Amino acid sequence: MASIALNDVRKFFGHHPVLHGISLEIRDGEFVILVGPSGCGKSTLLRMLAGLEDVSEGEISIGGRVVNDMAPKERDIAMVFQNYALYPHMTVADNMAFSLRLAGAPKAQKQAAVARAAEILDLSHLLDRFPRELSGGQRQRVAMGRAIVRDPAVFLFDEPLSNLDAKLRVAMRTEIKALHQRLKTTMVYVTHDQIEAMTMADRIVVMNGGRVEQVGRPLDLYDKPANLFVAAFIGSPAMNLLHGEAVAAPGGTAFRAKGGGLLPLPADRGVQPGTPLVYGVRPEHIELAASAACDTEAQIAVVEPTGSETQVFMTLGSDSLVGVFRERVADEPGSTLRLRIDPARVHLFEPSTGARIDAAAASTSPIREAVLA
Amino acid sequence: MSDATGIIERPAPLASRGRAPSRRRPKAVGGHHRNIGGVWPVLVLFLPPALVLFTLFVILPMGEAAWYSLFDWSGYGAPEDFVGLKNFETLWRNGAFRTALTNNGLIILVSLAIQLPLALWLATLVSHRIPGATAFRLVFFLPYVLADVAAGLIWRFIYDGDYGLVASLASLVGIATPYVLADRDYAIYAVLAVVVWKYFGFHMMLFIAGLQSIDKSLYEAADLDGATPWQKFRTITLPLLSPTIRLSVFFSVIGSLQLFDMIMPLTGGGPSNSTQTMVTFLYTYGVTRMKVGFGSAIGVVLFLICVTLAFSYRRVFMRHD
Repeated sequence: MASIALNDVRKFFGHHPVLHGISLEIRDGEFVILVGPSGCGKSTLLRMLAGLEDVSEGEISIGGRVVNDMAPKERDIAMVFQNYALYPHMTVADNMAFSLRLAGAPKAQKQAAVARAAEILDLSHLLDRFPRELSGGQRQRVAMGRAIVRDPAVFLFDEPLSNLDAKLRVAMRTEIKALHQRLKTTMVYVTHDQIEAMTMADRIVVMNGGRVEQVGRPLDLYDKPANLFVAAFIGSPAMNLLHGEAVAAPGGTAFRAKGGGLLPLPADRGVQPGTPLVYGVRPEHIELAASAACDTEAQIAVVEPTGSETQVFMTLGSDSLVGVFRERVADEPGSTLRLRIDPARVHLFEPSTGARIDAAAASTSPIREAVLA
Repeated sequence: MSDATGIIERPAPLASRGRAPSRRRPKAVGGHHRNIGGVWPVLVLFLPPALVLFTLFVILPMGEAAWYSLFDWSGYGAPEDFVGLKNFETLWRNGAFRTALTNNGLIILVSLAIQLPLALWLATLVSHRIPGATAFRLVFFLPYVLADVAAGLIWRFIYDGDYGLVASLASLVGIATPYVLADRDYAIYAVLAVVVWKYFGFHMMLFIAGLQSIDKSLYEAADLDGATPWQKFRTITLPLLSPTIRLSVFFSVIGSLQLFDMIMPLTGGGPSNSTQTMVTFLYTYGVTRMKVGFGSAIGVVLFLICVTLAFSYRRVFMRHD
């Protein structure tokens, strides 16, 4: 096991910068997930950790050793590739034992290491097969087995589930998390799927355009996104983000969206009327309301029932709004839904910088009545 | 299409229609007859032209050659002097033919032992996307683009003991000019050098295509596994390139047996038949000397050697490719 430290790490492809000074501490035994959209630099960063890409500037340490100039094999790491990178001409057992074979390990040691990894991953019955004879999930497990056999200080995963179907992805997610809990080895995992990140990580690093947008525990990112990018990226369906401004309302301030909708504002943010804002509310934090407790009304555009919940696409003035309700919504498109929004679960952002506006001082005065008035 | 049974079938891919009903297709009621009904029009349309052309230009000439090989015939008039297998007997007792056979074997050996490893080595060097790699590929491939006759003529001038490059180099270092193409002991080695020069580029291109189809992440995985460059070559490149290598060997062997165009302007099979190959021997002894029956016998032997080698090689080494 080992900790990892990145200190102002930069990467240029030619003159084109792709990483703009990444600094990050990953603790020993931690499961950290780098998440972000395509092209944000997360895979490049992982490959730099692996030694497959040079570090243009900055410093990477693994287990207290600066590894910038170390060959991949000297870094005591193992990597699971997106396409698994299994040697097609070798059996599962040979694939898994390859690193030990190269190191000239005795046959007994190779067999023991392969047997242990195969037992962990339930691969014992597949050891004589070739990769082409395996399903996607089995190949994935072999790739992990190959990493486990090396008994590395750090595991690196480069979007390992992206080639699997949705059902298998969910199953493998659980397996990888269980594997981490069993091995307690430091793991760095790259994905563009925020659900994967949320469900598996101890900590998530959200990246965008070669920069770290926010680092934190999954629920911290969900509850308190540091900026508009994180707010929009974390959560599925994505957070509703409405542009508008604070307006004076009886009893305090409210938010008027550019599309015309009027929504309750949390009183603790100290927002003055006239302040331009981006108003964020997660679809699952919008509730259906009785007429008396209604904050706003929206017109139904599309209803998507999934069984356990109902996803409703609505229009609020000329803005779009998505709500996810535990209740079953039987109303037809075009009809009006009465909605209630808990101001405490509203996120506010500065439109110019995208930065989160946090509570200025403790204050809990409700404004719902004012908005409705 | 659907039939009275209500079974719906998609039309089979064209490639599979010429075969017997596929085992994978369900043998539904009426399905077999419907399949045959689909195959016949394709057979009638596509088979006759190919069959006629193949018969006219391959089967018939082969049969004719085999027939003529049983005659002592100059090519004029009808073959009448039936000699049975005498041409084959004469052929076997001919020292020049045995030299030609040996030379063909030597060319195959050099192709496999020198030309292909050289091509593979250069392919590994120029297959990467590095500056200048394309220029090197072009330079290495250029000899293959040249016509064989032109290449033979060029090297005849290079080897020329009076005016050629070899003569200039020899006088530069102050040694006696070697007349390599006139020396019956060394001429074949001069020919072998030209063969390697002429054809390694072709094999290099095959290997480059093979190398580029190997997933780069395998090498990265091997890097992480601790492989040295040699270990990566031995445990990843060679096994994954083996279908290309087998194909390259196949082309090399068959090409070596058919070598002719380049040797004629270079040495004409001489001096003293020392650089004859089977085809130059056929041309020299069969065509230029108007011994069509004897030449046909050489052709039949060459054909049998080629067919035996080709079929056995494909059966033994390329059955999974």
